Amino acid sequence: MSRARLPISSMLMAPPLLAILAFGLLPLIVVVVWSFWSWDPVTYWIKPDLSLAGYAGILEAGRWTVIVSTLIKAFGTALLCLLIAYPTSYAIHFLAGRRLNVILLALITIPFFTSYLIRSFSWRLVLGRAGIINDWLQAVGITDAPVDWLLFSNFAVVVGLVASYLPFAIFPLLLSMRRVDPTYLAAAQDLGAGFWKGLTTILLPLTKSGIFAGFLFVFVMVVGSSTEVQMLGGAGASIVSVMINDVMRVANYPMAFAISTIVLAVIFGLVLIGNRIFGLASLFEDQSP
Amino acid sequence: MMLREGLANRVLLWVVTVAGLLVIYAPPLYLLAISFNPALQPGLPRLSELSLKWYASLRQETALIGALEQSLIIATATAVLATIMSLLAALAYFELRARRTAWLLAVILPMFVPGVIQGLALSAVFTRAGIKASTLTVIAGHLLWAMPFAFIVILTSFAAVRRSYLVAAADLGANWGRQFIDITLPLVRPGLISAFIFSFLLSLNEFTRAFYLAGRQNTLPVVLFGKMNSGASPVIYAMSGAIFLISVLCVVLIALRFLWQARVADSGRRMAR
Repeated sequence: MSRARLPISSMLMAPPLLAILAFGLLPLIVVVVWSFWSWDPVTYWIKPDLSLAGYAGILEAGRWTVIVSTLIKAFGTALLCLLIAYPTSYAIHFLAGRRLNVILLALITIPFFTSYLIRSFSWRLVLGRAGIINDWLQAVGITDAPVDWLLFSNFAVVVGLVASYLPFAIFPLLLSMRRVDPTYLAAAQDLGAGFWKGLTTILLPLTKSGIFAGFLFVFVMVVGSSTEVQMLGGAGASIVSVMINDVMRVANYPMAFAISTIVLAVIFGLVLIGNRIFGLASLFEDQSP
Repeated sequence: MMLREGLANRVLLWVVTVAGLLVIYAPPLYLLAISFNPALQPGLPRLSELSLKWYASLRQETALIGALEQSLIIATATAVLATIMSLLAALAYFELRARRTAWLLAVILPMFVPGVIQGLALSAVFTRAGIKASTLTVIAGHLLWAMPFAFIVILTSFAAVRRSYLVAAADLGANWGRQFIDITLPLVRPGLISAFIFSFLLSLNEFTRAFYLAGRQNTLPVVLFGKMNSGASPVIYAMSGAIFLISVLCVVLIALRFLWQARVADSGRRMAR
């Protein structure tokens, strides 16, 4: 063949790249561009413009407090998830036998592919006034009347968020534990280090990237979540995704997209910084030659 | 065991693990149990009362059945597309030398875009382009949601493809296509099957994007969401329970396959010795 041919990687790349550009990048460009458009509250029409009205709207009606409380919820949920995920990953990787290891891995994988809607909804049956927890509290005699704050509260939302996104913290931790050279731990052991000493001086530092990735994944998922608040939150409860939804009731694209732009900047900023510092991509890359 | 944890620490580690699993599984399993209770009031059924009454009455719920059919069509199409696209993406990744990480990030990053933002933005793009909301628009939205997961699964299965196999085949005169069909494809087939099933489930259960992108016929999660908020009924428990159970079984099937393969590989290794 005399003609110069495209490298095979570009031909393979073309279809998925096209899908990513058309369905992924283009909408995000629209989000950023339309966030500067103007919106007429009388006709609900939007028109091309270079206005900051959408962003200014965030400062009104306490919308910025929703953003702040979302970030706080995301931070808290991510920490809670790490506290559960680290011991869990340790047990799966170091303690479980071969068969139990596979079973536990399956149990951690399943939640990714079940409905977040159904799982959040099922907490209503557990936390409600007639739910099992209230039944049990009354049966044991801890309270006389059903406890109201269990459901439709921030408590319920955080519980639902932890239940939804815990696996996102466990997976990167498992991947990072797999890459720890066991001889380091054995050496520490030989030199007389106990469990806690070995954990804090060897394992924790070596799994830093997994810890950060786990935190980041949960944080990002919570910032983008909506079903947990819609299913379990109280009357005035909100989170950015729900707020975007509310703003869209009057077809206020500029403001909805201004909020979206801020959220996306936070998310992608964190992911890219994380990749720079901890090499997040390498967590997945390790397996392939 | 690399570190001597000691009994107390080991107990502590397992207690936390079990607690974590309970947080994930106890509520949906409770919902599943309730769905077998013939009574109208939600509660754990007695063993003698277990009944499929609510599952049988699902047949009359035409709105739910129509939504389920729509969801199955969308999930199948999404799974086919996501698997093919992710295979191409993984093959490209395998061929790439420089810019590998950039390509990996490009495929995985859409996972982090919140569903509300992606759904809303994509619907805005479609509206401007004069494309009406339909089955196809939902599939477009679900494709990018499923692809990162399918891509990671397929990429993991590429660990079985040693470069030396391909070099050997090339030395024997096989071109790229021949190498792909005779060597790569058989080796990554388990990954492709897992990726297909995972993508199917991700689409079947996806709610937020479908909420913005669905046309006249809503998908099952969107219809369920409406019904959950307008007063729960045992029929909702049955439908939710059934979908949850099917999703779990699919993943369990993949896990069993994986276990079986590991065992075959083990005995193969022993035979070779």
